[in-house]
Amino acid sequence: MIPISFQVNGETVEREVDPRTLLVHFIRDDLDLTGTHVGCDTGNCGACTILVDGEAVKSCMLLAVQADGTSVETVESLAGDGELTRLQQAFSAAHALQCGYCTPGMLMSATYLLRNNPEATEREIRKAIQGNICRCTGYVNIVKAIQEATR
Amino acid sequence: MTETTMEPLVVEREETKSGFVGQSIPRKEDKRLTQGQGVFFDDVKRHGMGYVHFVRSPYAHAKIVSIDVSKALELDGVYGTLTGDEVAIQTDPFFELSTPPGSEIKDYALAVGKTRFQGEPVAAVVAATRELARDAAELVEVEYEPLDVVVDPEAALAEGAPILHEDAGSNVVWSGVFDWGDWEAAKAEADHVVTIDYLHFDRFSSTPLEMSGCLVEYERATGQWTLYCNHQMPGVGAIWMAPAMRVGIDKLRFVTHDIGGGFGNKICLHPYYVACCLLARKLKRPVQWTEWRTDQHMANSHGNERVFRDVEVAVKADGTLLGFSCRAIDDCGAFPRYEPLGAIIWSQVTPGLYRWRNIRVDFTQACTNKSPVGPNRGYSRLQHLWLTERIIDIVAAELELDPVEIRKLNYVKADEMPYETPNGCVYDSGDYARCLDQALELVGWTAMDERRRDAESRGKLLGVGIGSTLDSGTNNFGQSTLINPELQFSGNNEVATVKLDIFGELVVTLGTVPQGQGHETTASQVVADILGVTPDDVHVRPGHDSFWNSHAGFSGTYASQFAVTGLGAVQGAAEKLAWEIKRVAAGVFGAEPDDIELAEGQARLAANPEAAIPFMGIGAIVNANNAILPMDVRDVTLNVRHVYVPPFQLPDKERKFGNLTLTYATQIHVCVLEIDRETGAYEIVDWAVVDDCGKRIHPQIVEGQVHGAWAHGVGAATTETFPYDEDGNLLTANFYDYHVPHALDMPPLKTGHIESPSPFTPLGTKGMGEGGGGAIHAVCAAIQDALRPVGKPVVYDSHNPYHRVWELMTRPEDSRKLVTVESR
Amino acid sequence: MLLREVQYVRPGSVDEALAALSSHEGARALAGGQTLINVMKARAASPDVLVDLGRLDELRTVERNGDGGLRIGAMVTYAQLMRDSTVGEARPILAEVASQIADVQVRNRGTIGGNICSSDPTNHFPPLAAAQGWRMHVRGPEGERELSADEFFLGVYFTAVGPGELLTAITIPAGGSDGFASVTLGADGTCIANAAAQVRDGQARIALGCVGATPVVVSSPEDVRTAAMDPPSDVHASADYRRHLAEVCARRALEQAA
Repeated sequence: MIPISFQVNGETVEREVDPRTLLVHFIRDDLDLTGTHVGCDTGNCGACTILVDGEAVKSCMLLAVQADGTSVETVESLAGDGELTRLQQAFSAAHALQCGYCTPGMLMSATYLLRNNPEATEREIRKAIQGNICRCTGYVNIVKAIQEATR
Repeated sequence: MTETTMEPLVVEREETKSGFVGQSIPRKEDKRLTQGQGVFFDDVKRHGMGYVHFVRSPYAHAKIVSIDVSKALELDGVYGTLTGDEVAIQTDPFFELSTPPGSEIKDYALAVGKTRFQGEPVAAVVAATRELARDAAELVEVEYEPLDVVVDPEAALAEGAPILHEDAGSNVVWSGVFDWGDWEAAKAEADHVVTIDYLHFDRFSSTPLEMSGCLVEYERATGQWTLYCNHQMPGVGAIWMAPAMRVGIDKLRFVTHDIGGGFGNKICLHPYYVACCLLARKLKRPVQWTEWRTDQHMANSHGNERVFRDVEVAVKADGTLLGFSCRAIDDCGAFPRYEPLGAIIWSQVTPGLYRWRNIRVDFTQACTNKSPVGPNRGYSRLQHLWLTERIIDIVAAELELDPVEIRKLNYVKADEMPYETPNGCVYDSGDYARCLDQALELVGWTAMDERRRDAESRGKLLGVGIGSTLDSGTNNFGQSTLINPELQFSGNNEVATVKLDIFGELVVTLGTVPQGQGHETTASQVVADILGVTPDDVHVRPGHDSFWNSHAGFSGTYASQFAVTGLGAVQGAAEKLAWEIKRVAAGVFGAEPDDIELAEGQARLAANPEAAIPFMGIGAIVNANNAILPMDVRDVTLNVRHVYVPPFQLPDKERKFGNLTLTYATQIHVCVLEIDRETGAYEIVDWAVVDDCGKRIHPQIVEGQVHGAWAHGVGAATTETFPYDEDGNLLTANFYDYHVPHALDMPPLKTGHIESPSPFTPLGTKGMGEGGGGAIHAVCAAIQDALRPVGKPVVYDSHNPYHRVWELMTRPEDSRKLVTVESR
Repeated sequence: MLLREVQYVRPGSVDEALAALSSHEGARALAGGQTLINVMKARAASPDVLVDLGRLDELRTVERNGDGGLRIGAMVTYAQLMRDSTVGEARPILAEVASQIADVQVRNRGTIGGNICSSDPTNHFPPLAAAQGWRMHVRGPEGERELSADEFFLGVYFTAVGPGELLTAITIPAGGSDGFASVTLGADGTCIANAAAQVRDGQARIALGCVGATPVVVSSPEDVRTAAMDPPSDVHASADYRRHLAEVCARRALEQAA
């Protein structure tokens, strides 16, 4: 077991972890932040997308121990004060989610995009969520929602 | 109070009054789901729970010589194991729907004696962590003796093929001939007989993003299991599981909350769930199983693969289609499970959208050493609809007819509705030609020649393809008797409860099991309009719980029916509650119930709205202050249950004739794509789809379903496939090789709709959502259209990756050999 | 998804990393992890010790060489290549190709060193390495070796980086105009065929991916047909189709370069 210390949604977390534990499992099972999802076992689906030091990453392709010293943001941080963000509201308004399973990862990828490129074009939006699979929407309304949030 | 009602065949509807029904209100589900606060089964934890890992067969077909779990059990943190031998002692085989030989197949929770497909679970291990469970699974020693493998359904039916199920003695699950009208006469009358030797509908699945799984607790005191799970049809799951486990159905409590997509793929989970139940009982602790993506691809449930042979089509000189005949060979993989229902369900849409009256299908379903199939969005109908659409486009191409005109000539006409098909199904309403016109307009049909020339100048071949499709919804389970006359299934049912609680809360429970279809929202719209409140006032409990009593034999979410059965039940329950509320208010005011109106959250005298009791008052009176009520109102509970039962009859087993579904929604797709002449790679550049599902409760949700069905079709047509090598190894067991569409793969979409209300449903709604594979048909047609200038190859497969398009382009004669035209 | 047991060390310098790699048999360098973690999830590889290079900032630099070429640290990510102005000026093709790899999340973690060290025939950078004459700088207990692409790529998932060694940087000679073309499984998906081309002093050098264990180098698209290659047949393409696509990609890459 290896001691780690890092920030999760603004709070310091200090734990001992087995080096083989994936960050996504640590977040879900140990921290009980179950908004971050698992949709595949090969790093393709993006349901586990979080931000590490402000960068969008797939938390199934990182070991928990690699998060040591970083600052992590998960979907639970977005409406931290109970008020949905503009992006979250746009997702609901545009019906960008059906089953909602890909939604947390989608929101984190879109949050990353909007922080770095608040006026993204449709092509840039599609490129930004290329690593997030949705099986319900055909992406039609997800793209629309992110476009709404750019305005 | 009777709980079930039979609706008259044609429902008299009042003029629609303005209300919440028909509006795209914000979805109730979204607040939790956008915050990562949804509750999916894998989010649920219990003290002391163990994690299940299945040991799966690497072989597609092998005898299990021995299983040794001792090394696994020695590992620290391992709680226990389960093997096929234990399963065979503790349970009976799941019941089979088929007649012989399929009925003789023995299907258990784990492989018993031999393994029949790659990924089949042969043992299970439970440990303190997910990682340890997998470590232990690696320590289970299984000795296999590999057997000959058969992966092709036609090869499986050939003399001398390896037999999967010795008990059945054959790889045939079920076979039968469907013969409606007079095919021979139609053929004799035809001016052209077009023959297509071979068509292949490919194997794929909708692969929901959330994998299957469950958390199972066993209560020793009562012998009852609770499954926190994502089964999308628990009613039928319990019918499979309870008898096999030798317990009453009340011993199985299914609880779902949020489900990360189902698409039919979460119906055949009973083998896994039984294994988990046995483990929970054996190990005296909760056990949790989450499937992995690789497992899901290898061993959950694929869509049916189907081969069509010797397709003959009778056509008049003007393009009028008289009928067709073919052999269909369906591949259900290693176990039938939900099958052979697929052998009948296609006949809900026997003629597709067309008026031909003479249809003969010789249908055989075979077992192969591949993953079992199961319902998959558009289940069994999309294969058949693909056949009818392929026939239309191949006939059109061979006889030099316009694909639009031949469709319009042969489509069932709007003024022919309701239209009885050759096999007795009744198409309730619709206007296919109008939908097609609208879709063509959306893609700019009239300017297509110009776009073709532009594409050509860039080294591309432009093609346009139409996919006409139907979404048949609300099954008549009596169709099962057409494959097995002994089965005691017919009709359909769905349940809802609506109650008014002590502080005025309106609480709805559903028998359905939503996986993203927004049932909480649409149910609240229906209730709000009936009770004179807003959807915000209506709390619809998320998910499903079989202990809520809002449960019937066919409860679940499947087969495009919620808008009819689910909302029919909600409507019925809300109307019963409205009547009770009126009776209470009338009792208080000394008036008649008909004098009371419900509005603004109050029950009031219509003639004197000042005399009003808020719902909170009604709830309080009945629940806590009922001595003030007149005696004749004291039967009121404000907690009502309604079972919606569609007006079905038993089908005629001899003629395989009868109405098999209540409603038929239409989707017409037009796809425009460009093929790179040098590589065969292609890009979809434009797309329109027009939908008609009758009355729309929540237009945005309806559109969302159209989008999803479109994306599944595009995936299946282009990059999603489950091919096997000759040894039975699945070649696309992950999302690298099984490429589902990503955001950059999907073109912009143009949508339109018309509303042809169903005359047969309480709300004028139709089931919709599956989409009938319309996008698959459209892509196939567009590829064939694009390739006309390069030797006019025939698109014979539903799945056309670049390499197949390349083969079509470079060796058109190969596919052209499949088609012959006999003109008289 | 669930890894076998493994130990983890996070060195603070390249020397420490080399020491860690040498002192454990079965030690493996963990760069961006976008391939290795996946392989470990499948339990197709199970190193005993992971030596995490994540904190070695000395491997994350991009510099101009004295000769006008580039020196790129092995831990430079695809995202960094896409936004680095030096790369943008000197060799924009690197950014262009990096932008086609997988997706945003993978590009934020995946590294140029990892891409070539995994030596996956469908990867994007091995053909570029072969076409542009990259030099791979490999350090080990015995000091540093410098290898050409030809010397570096030895087979599928197999390079000349030996036990106890580490790829620290690549250098790319100056000059040349570049091209890259591919046919992929879905947009930005796995390459079914790809090719990189460089034209320098009128000389073309084309390297083909996906058609052999290591990049296949030809000097003109016409040579593709006769070049020695061993294209695999799989679910996405037959050998013949791949060979044909290789020729098309070669021509397109060359057109872009010319």
